Amino acid sequence: MEIIIVGAGKLGYKLAEAFTIEENNVVMIDVKSSALDRADSQLDVLTVKGNGAQLSLLKSVKAGSKDLLVAVTSSDEANILIATTAKRLGCKKVAARVRNPEYSNQINFVKKEMNIDYIANPERETAREISKYLIRGKALHMEDFAGGKVVMTEFRAKNLPLAKNTMLKDVEMPGKMLIAAIQRDGGIIIPHGDTIIKGSDLVYIIGEKQTVDNYCLECGKPSIRKGAKKVMILGGGKAGYYLAKNLIKSGVHVKILERSEDRCRYLAEELPEALIIHGDGTDNHLLKEENIAETDALVSLTGYDEENLLVALLAKKHGVEKVIAKVSRPNYVPIIEQLGIDVAINPVLITASEILRYTQGGRVAALSLLLGGEAEVIEIITQENSSIVGKPLKALNLPKGLIVGAVVKNGEVIIPDGNTVIGPDERMIIFILQSEIKILKKLFYKTRGGIFGELWDNYKGLRDPSSI
Amino acid sequence: MNFGIIIKVLGTLLLFEAVVLLGPMGISLYYGESHYPFLYTIILLLLTGGIMRTFGGRSKKMQAREALSIVTFGWILVSLFGALPFIFSGVIPGFVDAFFETVSGLTTTGATILQEIEGHPKGILFWRSLTHWLGGMGILVLTLAVLPALGVGAFRIFKAESPGPMSDKLVPKVKDTAKILYTAYLGMTILQIILLYLGEMSLYESLVHTFGTVGTGGFSVKDGSIGDYESSYTLWVITFFMIAAGVNFALYYDLWKGKWKNLFRNSELRLYLSIIVIAGAFITANLLLTTFYSGFFETLKHAFFQTAAIITTTGYGTADFDQWPEFSKAILFILMFVGGSAGSTGGGIKVARLLILGVVIRREVQRLLHPQAYLPVTLNGKAVSNNIVSGVTSFFFLYMLIIGFGTLLISLEGVGLVTAVSSVAATLGNIGPGFELVGPTQDYSQFSAPSKVLFSLFMLFGRLELFTVFLFFIPSFWKGK
Repeated sequence: MEIIIVGAGKLGYKLAEAFTIEENNVVMIDVKSSALDRADSQLDVLTVKGNGAQLSLLKSVKAGSKDLLVAVTSSDEANILIATTAKRLGCKKVAARVRNPEYSNQINFVKKEMNIDYIANPERETAREISKYLIRGKALHMEDFAGGKVVMTEFRAKNLPLAKNTMLKDVEMPGKMLIAAIQRDGGIIIPHGDTIIKGSDLVYIIGEKQTVDNYCLECGKPSIRKGAKKVMILGGGKAGYYLAKNLIKSGVHVKILERSEDRCRYLAEELPEALIIHGDGTDNHLLKEENIAETDALVSLTGYDEENLLVALLAKKHGVEKVIAKVSRPNYVPIIEQLGIDVAINPVLITASEILRYTQGGRVAALSLLLGGEAEVIEIITQENSSIVGKPLKALNLPKGLIVGAVVKNGEVIIPDGNTVIGPDERMIIFILQSEIKILKKLFYKTRGGIFGELWDNYKGLRDPSSI
Repeated sequence: MNFGIIIKVLGTLLLFEAVVLLGPMGISLYYGESHYPFLYTIILLLLTGGIMRTFGGRSKKMQAREALSIVTFGWILVSLFGALPFIFSGVIPGFVDAFFETVSGLTTTGATILQEIEGHPKGILFWRSLTHWLGGMGILVLTLAVLPALGVGAFRIFKAESPGPMSDKLVPKVKDTAKILYTAYLGMTILQIILLYLGEMSLYESLVHTFGTVGTGGFSVKDGSIGDYESSYTLWVITFFMIAAGVNFALYYDLWKGKWKNLFRNSELRLYLSIIVIAGAFITANLLLTTFYSGFFETLKHAFFQTAAIITTTGYGTADFDQWPEFSKAILFILMFVGGSAGSTGGGIKVARLLILGVVIRREVQRLLHPQAYLPVTLNGKAVSNNIVSGVTSFFFLYMLIIGFGTLLISLEGVGLVTAVSSVAATLGNIGPGFELVGPTQDYSQFSAPSKVLFSLFMLFGRLELFTVFLFFIPSFWKGK
């Protein structure tokens, strides 16, 4: 695909990274050359310096003949203008990031009238994920695949009925489920039979919904928990606003701590049901006064990753049952786990997942990025001519960084082993490390392998005039 | 340092060289010569390359350190193996000589140690010229264009191998950029082969001289270089293609895309063409006044051929310009330092760098008058970042420093000062012939082995734009700091 990304910030960079892994041609536009320099030295993209809303610039990068344009600059208005201009120029699909809550009611109007195909709102997505977790008591990474037939969830290994340091091959799994991956010391491991599971590990389990639910009950960690009743939110920014709104709708008692007085007034007007408190969320005295020990959950959504993490730790010390911190930069991801915070939520990752899921259209039915984007869970529908079809899995020489979690054959969930043969039109749920993503293309599209295959592909590419 | 990826990529490069050697082997089979020198080299390359590819690491992590090592060691390795056919065939028995000849070919220098060229096997001479074609646009860039992508590391390799102060991509992917550049290169090559073949050259001669021209190398298969051809047509065709090969190849992409205006707006192209016209005109006038040749067009032909041959760093000769009047020789000597455009196959300092240096000097003068003025350095109407400006100035200084030290070392041979300076300038600038003892009718066989190794190093320095190779002489690079 030919893709333009306007805005080389956190989200733009993450998207470019994900797109380039899949052999797309990406052009990045930004006004800041420092942001572009970083992209230039780390990604195989073409960088163009300039204002993406400028018609002449969009024309010069041939926005009209591209397959996709994603506008993720810091300004909502600019994003809408860029996306709608590109659409008028003839770009096939356009997406824009719009985060201001005041526009949230007119999203459908904007989409229709401005002709924008997809509008992403990281704050609202983040709020939705958090409220899903808080209200319905779902595990944060409880993802549904194949229309809800297959689920993926995460467990602390110490909660599982296992002896200490069991090897994976000795773990008894009831029926249709398997351990797809282990998160340990800030990295993700795809385990094999001899991998020893440690108590501190976070294990990802993929399986048939009913089986997983039963297993969860057995392990004393019901996948459906009791929802939170009293929630304290730190930081009444956009994400805080959306979250409060969602929670109030479900009858949860919400308390928002906000530092800015103007913002407090605004929140008080917009969210009359919530209790707005003007004060510093890091103030221990204030937290005690507001009876932090009695709240079911604390969500820290200020603009500073460090503050969010520290307040979450503080709340944990006060005995809050669930603490959630927003962490936007990937820098701290490897150590968060050790801090004992229940959930670190990354808006960039959530939005990137959403946009990727939207743009990858027919091929990928569902997608979810995990742990700083280090791994993905993808649901793919096989085609007649995919090279993965018709052979037993063990004959495919699959890399270590990929595991087929489940296959849905004629509506029936199968946990595959080496002898499973994949047919066409089946849904596969695949857990894959980001470093191995290229293999997907090989497996699901008919291509030849090796040096000669590359040469052949190149030859075909040379004949195709659009590639030059 | 991630040695795994370095070894793996270098292994791929050697396998690639083995495939390329099939060409000259075919030529020697066609002419009924012994093809064993090539066969043995190919077997050695396949073995070494195969082993390196198999045992190279799986980790694809490539930082600047790895990319630069790949480029420098890649060129040295390809030269070492490329020298083998010369040795096996007995054309150049000595290893140092054969290495010098191959480096000279790959770096598109065209300096030779062969005193007589005619009479050697055609397959060997074909390989000798083919090295120009491979080295012209860069053998690693070619590898990038046709072989599995290396991701981001590829851009670092591309940057290190393409000449010029800044190398930008034309399209998002390095691989596709490399493909476009090679398509333009290939198109130019085919066009010249046809045009030369329509003249007095045989197909074989058209091929080797085209390789020498578009790669801006300068190896010929004739003892008298291009001077052995009678027709003005052949000379003008070669003149045109030498000048064309000295133009930034990215501009041909613009041309292909119908962006004519970019060509006129490009200040480097304008300066490059102006230098050729002015230098050619002065030499013509000087030669006419001293009645060196009979007739205006004869003079014009030789003057412009030689101007183009030196500025584009090709180094073909039609005449013994060492016999020309001193003023013309002085012009040619200065042109040796100018070189082609950035992103071309030419060597030298490059017109773009001189343009930037000119603007820097103008800025300093303006600053005397307006101490508070904000004066950005611009090229083609766009501001050039300070990093690039300081890169250009230090490049220029290092270039001159190497010429100075090189002259000192070569003087130990007891040759004259003009020979010493021009031989260093001709090898560092990838030109080939210099003046006096290394003039167009002379060769480099007279020098001792250590000097030949030194010249080989200068040629690599020049082709890889100094810093890439210079890095390996810095102790901290090896200590992994």
